[in-house]
Amino acid sequence: MKAFSAVLALTCGLLPGLQASPNLDRARQMEQSGDSSGARTFLARAAQSSPEDVTALTEYAEFLDRYGDPEARDAYAKVLNLLRKSGDQKRRVAVARHLTALDLLAGDRAAAERHLEEYRAAGGKQLALPPVAAGDSPARELVSIPGPLRSFARMAAISSETAPEDVLPALARNVVTNGYQASNSNDALDQTEYLKLVHRYLSQAREMEKLAGPGKVIEIESCESPKAGELLRILGYRMRGGCGSEVVLETVNATRAFLTADSGFPLHDLEQAMRTNRPFRHDFQPTRVPVMFTAAYWLPVKEKESDFLDVFLSDPALCRLYLGFSKLDPETAEALRKHVPMQRLKAYAHVLDFFGGMFELRNGKMVVPGGQKAVAAWAELAGTSPDNGIVFLEKMLARDDGWTASYFDALARTRGPVLDYLTEPARLKRFYGAMRGKVTSPGPARPVFRSNADLMLLTTRLQVGPDGRPHIPGGVDVWKNLFINHPHGKYDGKLTRAAAAWKEPDDVVEALFALCRKAVENEPLKIFMTLSDLDRNRAKPLETATVDRLARAYKQMGQQYAIFNDADLSDSSIVQFLDSAEAVSKIRDQMLRANTAGIMQALVGLWRVFAREGTIPPDKADAVFAKLIAPYGGMRENRDLFDAGRNGVRLLLEATGSKPDAAPQDRLVDLLAGNVSQPDEDAHTLMVQDTLRILEAQRIVSLNALFELADHLDAVAGGQKLSPSLVNRLTARISEIQLPRNALSGAERNALAFGYWTERHIEGQRKMNLRVAIERASTGADKEKLREIRGMLAPVLRDTLVAYNYAHYAPPGAQILFTNPLFVRSHDFLGIQGANQTWRTTELFGTGWPSNGGGRLVGSLAGLPYALAEAEQNFLVPGQTQALIWGDLVPQMILSAKIPRWWKVTPSQMHWVALHMRYTQAVLAEAAFDPELRRQVTALLSGQASPARTFLVAALLERGEAKQAVENITPSELFMLGREMAANEKGEPVPCLAELRRLAAEVPREANYRAVSRAFGTPKPTLANSYQPELLGLRTFPTLMGYSSRIMAESWESNALYWAELADALHVRPAQLNVRIPEWTRKLVEQIFASHLEDWPALLRSLRNVGEDVRSSSRSRGSEQKASLQ
Amino acid sequence: MNISRRTFLGATAGLAGGHLLGQEGQRPVFRVKVDMVVLSFTVTDSRNRYINGLKPGDFRILEDGILQRISTFAEGAKPPVALLEDGSTRPLVETAARDRTAPGNEAAPVPENNPDAFVGTNVFVLFDTSNFMYRGFVYAEDAIADFVRGLDRADSVAVYTFSRNLSRAAPLTRDRFQAISGLRKAVAGDDTALYNGLLLTLRDAAKVPGRKVVIVFSNGPDNASMVAPDDVRAVAEDEGIPIYVISTNEVNKDPVSSGVFRRIATGTGGKAYWAKTWQKQVEAFENIREDLGNSYTITYYPQPNPNEGFRRIGVEIASDVGKKFRVRARPGYRPRGGF
Repeated sequence: MKAFSAVLALTCGLLPGLQASPNLDRARQMEQSGDSSGARTFLARAAQSSPEDVTALTEYAEFLDRYGDPEARDAYAKVLNLLRKSGDQKRRVAVARHLTALDLLAGDRAAAERHLEEYRAAGGKQLALPPVAAGDSPARELVSIPGPLRSFARMAAISSETAPEDVLPALARNVVTNGYQASNSNDALDQTEYLKLVHRYLSQAREMEKLAGPGKVIEIESCESPKAGELLRILGYRMRGGCGSEVVLETVNATRAFLTADSGFPLHDLEQAMRTNRPFRHDFQPTRVPVMFTAAYWLPVKEKESDFLDVFLSDPALCRLYLGFSKLDPETAEALRKHVPMQRLKAYAHVLDFFGGMFELRNGKMVVPGGQKAVAAWAELAGTSPDNGIVFLEKMLARDDGWTASYFDALARTRGPVLDYLTEPARLKRFYGAMRGKVTSPGPARPVFRSNADLMLLTTRLQVGPDGRPHIPGGVDVWKNLFINHPHGKYDGKLTRAAAAWKEPDDVVEALFALCRKAVENEPLKIFMTLSDLDRNRAKPLETATVDRLARAYKQMGQQYAIFNDADLSDSSIVQFLDSAEAVSKIRDQMLRANTAGIMQALVGLWRVFAREGTIPPDKADAVFAKLIAPYGGMRENRDLFDAGRNGVRLLLEATGSKPDAAPQDRLVDLLAGNVSQPDEDAHTLMVQDTLRILEAQRIVSLNALFELADHLDAVAGGQKLSPSLVNRLTARISEIQLPRNALSGAERNALAFGYWTERHIEGQRKMNLRVAIERASTGADKEKLREIRGMLAPVLRDTLVAYNYAHYAPPGAQILFTNPLFVRSHDFLGIQGANQTWRTTELFGTGWPSNGGGRLVGSLAGLPYALAEAEQNFLVPGQTQALIWGDLVPQMILSAKIPRWWKVTPSQMHWVALHMRYTQAVLAEAAFDPELRRQVTALLSGQASPARTFLVAALLERGEAKQAVENITPSELFMLGREMAANEKGEPVPCLAELRRLAAEVPREANYRAVSRAFGTPKPTLANSYQPELLGLRTFPTLMGYSSRIMAESWESNALYWAELADALHVRPAQLNVRIPEWTRKLVEQIFASHLEDWPALLRSLRNVGEDVRSSSRSRGSEQKASLQ
Repeated sequence: MNISRRTFLGATAGLAGGHLLGQEGQRPVFRVKVDMVVLSFTVTDSRNRYINGLKPGDFRILEDGILQRISTFAEGAKPPVALLEDGSTRPLVETAARDRTAPGNEAAPVPENNPDAFVGTNVFVLFDTSNFMYRGFVYAEDAIADFVRGLDRADSVAVYTFSRNLSRAAPLTRDRFQAISGLRKAVAGDDTALYNGLLLTLRDAAKVPGRKVVIVFSNGPDNASMVAPDDVRAVAEDEGIPIYVISTNEVNKDPVSSGVFRRIATGTGGKAYWAKTWQKQVEAFENIREDLGNSYTITYYPQPNPNEGFRRIGVEIASDVGKKFRVRARPGYRPRGGF
């Protein structure tokens, strides 16, 4: 690869060979202390005070450039003026070239041409921007949709922000997924209500088009005109009252009126025009949208004269094919169109749609995973060589009902050692054979979602060591044993027989491939993935015996295993956890079991928070964990439970370096808000307040009061006088607990039989007459009874500890926690009778039952952050009337804004992240006028983006449209590309790279990929079995059957990186991110206007819109400050 | 939040107060913060006819039996008056201006420092656009548009729609055109999270000074809310916001929803209507408009009261004749917990 140094020299540093001035040193010190805004002002003043000083001005320009400040262009332009005067041609070349790149990134082509001209005039090499029209894609045929796009889009459930070229693919997708349903009477498909409405709308729109006449404008001169009557007839309305101020439009034909309303016709404007006797004018120009290839290609011979849209909507197979084609890059699509008849392609349309996105034909040959070394093996699998290009592609589509294509697709998404391992020719064939089995039907593209989820997970998450061997947790024998002596029956008869002969890791991997075909839950793969993920983060892999125990306990306890990823736990602690949990499950007294599980899980939950955030030092985390869970192995009564809970709190406080006399509640709330070494008072105070508000809304009894009373009871038992005020305080608080709402209607209670124990839990607290109990015991000086009263406090302690967990993960707004005062107390640790949900993941129950007490969470606290986010997501208010938002994406985004905390992120670290992203942008801009660089950058991009998107970016760069090219790359891709390019840089250390390297050298503990991954990564409980934030750099996943879209959502890693870049550009201190990121995320969600589940561009648009809003309000604040200073 | 439109209509195809920080290092202290109480109510005779023209002196407001001092008084859409120490009244606008210009009296207890806020009612219309409303969607729109047009000029109106999520179709405005335009842009479809939507509407309404009501126009069955109706009702009670409900269902068709509607309406001083036909819906709106035009609004700052739980409000009419009248008001409220 060509070193990127040439680019770097010209794009990121313009003072090669010059020493940093004292001004720059001072500015850097300010930056490091977190005052980058001050550094900017300081350099600006230095440049202002010495307007002829190239160094001062260049330092200022470079500073602005490093922070992505739009004013950088002006500053560089001033530098260029000075250089022009001074005759320093070498630096003039550098600045002119860099300005060209910045102009392109700003979308200012005219300025780019001007600066490139100057670059050449100063002696730069012959680089040129492509002529404006030269690189444009060939004009595509347009098809017509009657009426405005907005109306059609509303009816067809397409985002109004969709680009014209994406309208037909979006429509095709909706027709495929929602347009038809199985008929009750025969095999035919019936149109759904959705599609019927689209058809009805088109019919109405055509009537209106006719009324609009040749000018395509509906013009109603006056209320009395006959045209007004005709328009109202079409719209399904009539006038009530005579023309003039009294006229009101009212429904006369509900079917038509519904279309009018739902399509967003400006009915009220029409009504107002009639009321005020003014003409009404409504532009009804048809919408012209591009069609792939030609319209004729898609129309059957007999229907060549028919309307394209009518034919399209009536044929779901055709729509599926269109959708499949839309995922290919133009070169591959064109080859497929030319060489395979459409009727044949329609038969494989489902396969093309789901698994065609990674197909890539270049120069007539198929690009295959594994490259040249795997060509022969692919040839064997397909029956023809990849060198046969289109023939190979068709074989891929047709073979084994899509299994071959799905295998190709899964492998094409891998890279590095995993790709090398899986595409070793012998394995490639062996694993495919295992997966394929003997019967290939039903294929993975037959269901509504891709049914190759397990295959995708296995291939992308498999871990291969530096020796090229896959990591098998615990070794082969554990797995052999598991398959042969499975505790809950055989996984697979054939594999059980084969397992006896397993010797090599490949044998286990082969079995896992074989199980990928199973329609039922693939437990072995889940165990394998979970344990692999545990090993991945450990200093020392799990011992064989531990792996065996974990594998066997997976069914009951698997949801808890993510806990072991929060710190490097010893094998003995893990086993001890399992022992304790199993002992809790055996407690016969349901109330005691629920309380024990609640207190243990809540304490473990607090430990997780403190371990993840480093509040408990990593070297202490294991010992603290072991001590924390030890008492729960043999819990017999509430008094012991209260003591265990209290000791747990004490242990956590000690481990977090709290002072011995610290009030437990105050200290825990402070720690949960964030363990701040250099407090950012505003952000920290806000977070403390948020926590306290939630505790108050839930009427939570303070730990301080609970422990004080417990101590006092001991003192009274020792002869001290009873303190009525202390008892009264606690009693008063408990009396604030409201009556439980009617949790269930009779029918629901009978149907589900759950919630009984939580109601008893709440009732128990309400009825607890602490004062009487204490007075009786103290009057009789019954020491034992006095101590037993501590046991009465155990349920209260449980709620307090659980509430800390809830408050910590509370999503922005937290409407439920502020509205339902029993939400925390309603947490059901037992669940539906017989289901034993104590150790299962947290689930949301009871939504939409009007007679109940509101939704509640059931199960363990293991999935609490997600469950809370899921419960809260519907309280977000979309900015668009018709906002289409993902179901699983939103909770994942909320969770990713709440779990990571940024107290320990330094300004340098945040800047380091942003520099990577800006570096990539600068290289992309350079690539617009440097063909060789373009080739290299797009080759790197292909490792992240699909072939179609890579092709698009390359085409945009070729047309000099760097701004648009960057807009098609996600923030995580920008970061990863920057990382790869910086790593591949072999040339002399040039200034920009030197800036990255300088930070890496000066602050190595902060400016490194591992630290950044922790700081700006996302938690991936489903994909990586961990809540520890992390960047995996995976391609975004599609929706997968069995996992809904959680995996897809977890593969999106762009938000935090984008926020980091935004905060860096606006000189926001990292600690502020703890408050701002949740808020920005809320806005992001509310502004998403997507057309379908995988509409990442819609998310990207929303992300950038929020960023622009934040930038713009920051700029206006800046202007106001500037004005007030002046 | 799910993809909304395509789950529409069964098109499935298999898709599924103040923060008092103490001395440094101390925890915030929790205190009960009592805001001004806004109380709207109607007075009717035995034949359910509105009684108008009553004066502030005709009423005795009790809170847990403790007599309260009325701060302001308004009838229907008439401009509110402030009650002075001597029992006389002055228009609130003048009073506010005078009080604030008096030396040392800049922070006179004018409601929310915005006397204009008490002129007219802030009406929040919450329109159900979920799948359940599909058939009656357009008629409902017409009925709401008629209602908005017929509101008193002094009233402000906001139109919100909801299905699974809330949508602020038109923000609070006195501009009827804007409100109806927003209404006409509503899109139908998706699940019904009525109580979630109602909660968010109440939260918005609570931020607005002055008298406010929420009118819910819904078919009834809720299948997606996370909050319970009674918790939402408690918010309305505490904020003093009457909820009127117009159900487009028959009262007996969905007894659970009917019961809930009745409970939240009466508990907040509003009313519930069952109006399956368009004509009945128009009538229901007509009744609500009458209610708004014939109601009294009193504000007061509560006298010291140790009760931090639910405080029961009583409205008594001082005269003998008044004993035959019936007062419809919210039963009470919980003081806001602050810290």
